[in-house]
Order: sequence, then structure tokens, then C-alpha cells
Amino acid sequence: MIEPFTVPFMGRALAELALLALICGPVSVFVFARRLSFVSDALTHTVFPGVVIGFLAGGIEGIVVGALVAGVVTAVVLTLLSRGGALSDDASTAVVLTAMFSIGVVLVSRRSSYTADLTSFLFGRILTVTPRQIAETAVLAVVILGLLLFSARALIFRTFDPAGAAAAGFRVAWLDLLLNIIVALVVVAAVRAVGTILVVALLIVPAAAARMLTTRLSLMAVIGTVLILVAAYGGLLASWTASVDYGISLTSASAVVLLLVLAYLLLLPLGALRSRHNRGRIVSDARRSPHELVG
Amino acid sequence: MDDVAVADAAVRFTEVSVGYHGTPVLTDVNLELVPGQRLALIGPNGAGKSTLIKSILGLVPVLAGTSTVLGRTPAQARARTGYVPQTDSLDADFPVTAGQVVMMGRYRRIGWWRPTRNADRRAVHEALDRLGLADHARTHFGVLSGGQRQRVLLARAIAAEPRLLLLDEPFNGVDAVSQEAIVSVLRELSAVGTTLVLSTHDLTVAHELADAVCVLNGRQWAVGPPDETLTADTLRRAYGGHAVELRDGRTVLVEP
Repeated sequence: MIEPFTVPFMGRALAELALLALICGPVSVFVFARRLSFVSDALTHTVFPGVVIGFLAGGIEGIVVGALVAGVVTAVVLTLLSRGGALSDDASTAVVLTAMFSIGVVLVSRRSSYTADLTSFLFGRILTVTPRQIAETAVLAVVILGLLLFSARALIFRTFDPAGAAAAGFRVAWLDLLLNIIVALVVVAAVRAVGTILVVALLIVPAAAARMLTTRLSLMAVIGTVLILVAAYGGLLASWTASVDYGISLTSASAVVLLLVLAYLLLLPLGALRSRHNRGRIVSDARRSPHELVG
Repeated sequence: MDDVAVADAAVRFTEVSVGYHGTPVLTDVNLELVPGQRLALIGPNGAGKSTLIKSILGLVPVLAGTSTVLGRTPAQARARTGYVPQTDSLDADFPVTAGQVVMMGRYRRIGWWRPTRNADRRAVHEALDRLGLADHARTHFGVLSGGQRQRVLLARAIAAEPRLLLLDEPFNGVDAVSQEAIVSVLRELSAVGTTLVLSTHDLTVAHELADAVCVLNGRQWAVGPPDETLTADTLRRAYGGHAVELRDGRTVLVEP
């Protein structure tokens, strides 16, 4: 079970995914709580033209810079749109998403190796991750976790009660921009390994699955990270076994995401049980509270 | 300088208009509240009650007139102003406990990332205890009843130890037990000098709790003691004819 990971490229793939697990667990909690799933989806698509331009200009190494610029620009644009109230309509997000994505496709289609390039941008190349890429992901992970640790308290307050947070002196617009930039940085960190499409799964599924097990935010982050780690190990192992032992080609990143979704599906019944239990508690609370107060 | 502010009015609005994007929502506001005073804002839906509360917080701009809060501009006074939002404006599914919600009241003191101290935890416990919720610190906010949630939000405001407390419809959807708990804590706060401003639909509560009433609907129609402002005549004008006087001299509203 360990042996495949002694092969260098498998070991590097697992290391890269472990770093992504470390950041995606906590960030997905905020994506979930702020209901930013669609905004995250938009970010992953709008980063795509940046990835293409970065690649055309500077090859593989240019991807991170291109993605970074595109990600931060979109984070600002989406924050401004939502401030004007325009984003209450999902349509404007969808317009930004599809427009940027189309620009990316137009750019990439000018190249002769069109399909191969498109596939690697969309689905990543987890098995060809280089030590340098791992180092870059590690740097981004430190930046992302640092920003998150610094702002977690303010972000939680703003998410739960925007009016209350503003009244307490927190600048809600800046907090929104900060969270959008954090999500953009995660997309940038993950884009070469898992691609712009599959990174959405890492940003949405972990917290949604963890929510079935706990109502504590910190625990949700930890469980989210563990779920990605397990899916990463299982997915890589499955794709290795499929191709080495059975000659079936199973894309590694897709296997990882499928396992993550499977974990979510397996946890769904637990979530249903929990919410039924909670409904029971509301009733008993209401019955008990007057006596508590009088006594 | 602080002592001057204490002796000064808690809220002083003179000929104030407030609104969004340069369009006034509420005009002709004249308020002068001394520390410890309890002001009820009365008016139909959309009258501008919430807007006035937000302008006292400095979150909605004052378009005309002069406004001071605790001797400063509204935004500068925010550090010593508490705010209790409407319960139903919050996401009940948000994974957070009652204790964590009350701790948010301390965030301004704690800052962005300093760990919580014993003094913070003590303030949270005391605030919950005052509202009869000491046993619910670890209870998920979403499973509490509407009245209990409202008490948690008041506890959060108390934990911040404000000199001025603004409450947006604190009795909406609140059971009798919770209402009693909230009213008694508000009286205690007022007795030690905390100024209260609360919006409400409930004229009975306004009569019993407030020592001043401000009747609003697009503009300020009246301000003064409850007996002088909650008259059938004033209410009929502010509400557009939907006020009915009761036999005991009280006035009750009939919504159309």
C-alpha cells in the first residue's frame, strides 16, 4: 500500500496533494459558510485565461504568475460587483465566468497542441509535479494559512452577522475582498496539479462533507483536510493500481475528486440523522426554558 | 475629555436627514438623549427606524444637519456603541455556539488575532448568565428558540460593555419569558447609565419601557415622553389613519 509512493513521481504527487489538503480544508469552511461555492467556481474559470497567457508568455513557469494576476483581478471585480448589489443576481457572476473562460479557450486554441494543452490546464498534471512546483505550493500555503489565521476571527464575525460586524468596526468590504483573494490564491496553488475544473471540488466538497459530522468550524477544517488526504492517498493508489496491474488508464486527479465526492455521499445519511436530532432538541429546549428561568 | 463626554448628551441630532446615495429616507430628526435615557422608535414598516439606528452607528450617512454620539461623530463613537440586530437577519444554520456568538462582542477589544483571555471568557459567562442562558454557552445558536437567540444577541452587546445600546426590533417573534428577561436587563443597564435606543412595533412595550418616544415615518412626527407622543392624533398622522384609541386611554395600532 506504501510501495507505489516510493516511486519519485508518485511521492511528489502525494506531497503536492497533502499541501493542498492543508489549505483547502480550512478555506473550504469559509467558502461553505459564506455560500461562496458559485463565486469559487467563477474564480477557477476566470483564472483559466491567466493560466493560458502565463503559459504562452513564460512556459510552465509562467502559469503561476498569469494565474496570480487573473485571480487577484477577478477577486477585486467580484467584490466590487457584489458591493453594488449586482451580484445578488447570479447571472452577472455567470457572465464574468463564461466570458473569461471563453477568452482562455480562444487563446489556447491558437496553439497546435490545442487539445493536450487544454486538457492539462483544465485537469492538471498531478503526476508530473516538480520539486520546484512543490516548493511554490508550500510558499503559497504559508501565505494562505497566514492570511487565514490573521483574519479568521473577523471573517467568522462578518460571515455570521455582517451588520453586527460593521457595527463593531470591522470593514466588511475589505474582509470580502480578503476572502476572495484567499480563494484566488488557493486556485493558483492548485491549478497546475489538479487543474482549474477539479480545484472547485477541493474548495467545496471537504467542508460540505465535514458539516455532516460536526457543527464546530475548527473541527470542520480539520476533518476537511483529513478527507482530502484520504482521498488523495486512495485516488493516487487506485489510479496506480488500475494502470500498473490492470492496464486501465484512470486519471489520478479525477480519481482523487471522485473519492472525495464518494466520502461526501457516504456521510450524507449521518448529516440527515444529525439534523433530525437537532430538530428534537429545539422542542425539548422550548419545553425546558421557562422552568430554567423561573428556577 | 472623557468626563466631558459623560456629562454631554449621549445622542444629539439636530435637523438631521439620513439616507442612501444622497436620497433621504428620513428627515427632520431632532434628538437629545442624556445618559441612561430609554428611547423607543415607533413607526410603520419602512418608516426609517433601522436607518436611523444605522446612522447613529455611522453606517448610514447623515446628509444634512449635525450629529454627535457620545460627544463625537457617530463613526468615532462606534467603539463604545453596542448594536443588537434583528434575529432573523442572521443565518441560523451557521455553525456557531451561543458562547461563541457572545464572544464576538469582545472581538473589538481582543483585536484580530490575540488569543482570548480570562477576562473575555468571564465577560461572556456573566453576560449569558444575566440573560438566564449560562447553561446554553455550548448550545448551537441555530437550535435555540427565537427568544433565546435574541437574548444571546443582547448578551453579546452587553459583553462589549457599551455606553450606548441600539436594538433593532428586539421583541419581534420573542416569547413572553424572553421578553421579560430582556426588558429587565435593559432596565438594569439604563439604571447604571447606559443609554438605550430601540425600535419596536409594540406600543405597550414602548409605553412600559421607554421614557422617551420618537414617532417616525419618512420624517420625525413627534418626540417626547410616551404620554405626549403616543397619542391617537400623532399615530394616526404617522401611520396614515390606521390608529385606534382604546378605552383605557392607550392607543393600539391596526395594520391595514
